Amino acid sequence: MTLSRSLSLAVLGMSAAVVAATSTFAIAASPASTAITTRQANFKKMGGAMKVLKDQLASGTISKPQAVAAAKTLAATGRAQAGLFPNGSGASAGVKTDALPAVWSNRAVFDGQMKAFIAQADKLVAVAGTGNADAIGAQFKAVGGTCGSCHKQFRADN
Amino acid sequence: MAASTTRIWDPTVRLFHWLLVALIAFSWWSGEQHDMERHRLSGYAILALLVFRVFWGFAGPRTARFGSFVRAPGAVIAYIKGLGSRKSHAANGHNPLGGWSVVAMLAVIGLMVVAGLFSVDVDGFESGPLADYVSFDQGRSAAQLHETVFNAILALVALHVVAVAFYLVWKRQNLVRPMITGSRKTAEGESAADLRWSPVLAIVGIAIGVGVAWAVSTGFRF
Repeated sequence: MTLSRSLSLAVLGMSAAVVAATSTFAIAASPASTAITTRQANFKKMGGAMKVLKDQLASGTISKPQAVAAAKTLAATGRAQAGLFPNGSGASAGVKTDALPAVWSNRAVFDGQMKAFIAQADKLVAVAGTGNADAIGAQFKAVGGTCGSCHKQFRADN
Repeated sequence: MAASTTRIWDPTVRLFHWLLVALIAFSWWSGEQHDMERHRLSGYAILALLVFRVFWGFAGPRTARFGSFVRAPGAVIAYIKGLGSRKSHAANGHNPLGGWSVVAMLAVIGLMVVAGLFSVDVDGFESGPLADYVSFDQGRSAAQLHETVFNAILALVALHVVAVAFYLVWKRQNLVRPMITGSRKTAEGESAADLRWSPVLAIVGIAIGVGVAWAVSTGFRF
């Protein structure tokens, strides 16, 4: 009883120490690695928003509010992403990233691709408001095209 | 008729085999090219093949039936013990070890197809026909599984090719020709059982395979 009790206390104590150490580590993370984890979380959010639209298109029933919300997520998050590729946030940052060195060596093209995505996402917001499945499908393809063309150049294919 | 032959593989099994070879190669290629439209079509065709083959495992001729080629461990061990001998033996369909290789192959390719059906690409742009039944994260996990399982397929294919080469070099038995022509030479005085199969059942099996693949390809929305 006492042994198991002190054991569980010890385990509890160690877990607390681990949690503390991890959070300290997180606070101490470099701006570059924070940029990487933030933009990765954002890309996931965008992927999820794309899937919302894709699922609606596949089922053939468009829910206008959901479609508009998803499109807005894409446009807003896309804008945030443009600022989340600071110098030094490539492979050298020590956090696993699929961003290729070309992002920084070919910056003007990369920024142009980002702008193209944002422009298409803005159009998608407008089109989603119509609730027209064909139009949303066409604009969804246009947005997806900008994802793909940028990824082809600037994201490791794995 | 000088050398007599006997049929060991019916036409549908041979067609299944070579179509599967071609489609797996094409699936790999189209996947690498990110040609997802064709990649999906190729996957549906493989699904149709798998469903047919499972059906044929119960309704086909003796060399196609699971009941005849999936053997007990004892038979497998006895077969492995005889592998070192250079004496060839009558290949009346799958050998006891090869039978399990067929089961493994069907299981792994089946897992590959199922994972693909639920897969979502990193952009949330391309996806399998059943991806809307799962979340984005689950779809991404399915895609990762889809990639991992491909290695298992490659390993089984490599093992298969090595085994066929082993038979050719060590036992001086050509296993490829029967898979093309359907027949093998018989030894002198050997009387092999004939291969009986029903074309009607074959058509039924093909129809089931195509039907299932089509239903899945629509995401079960008719």
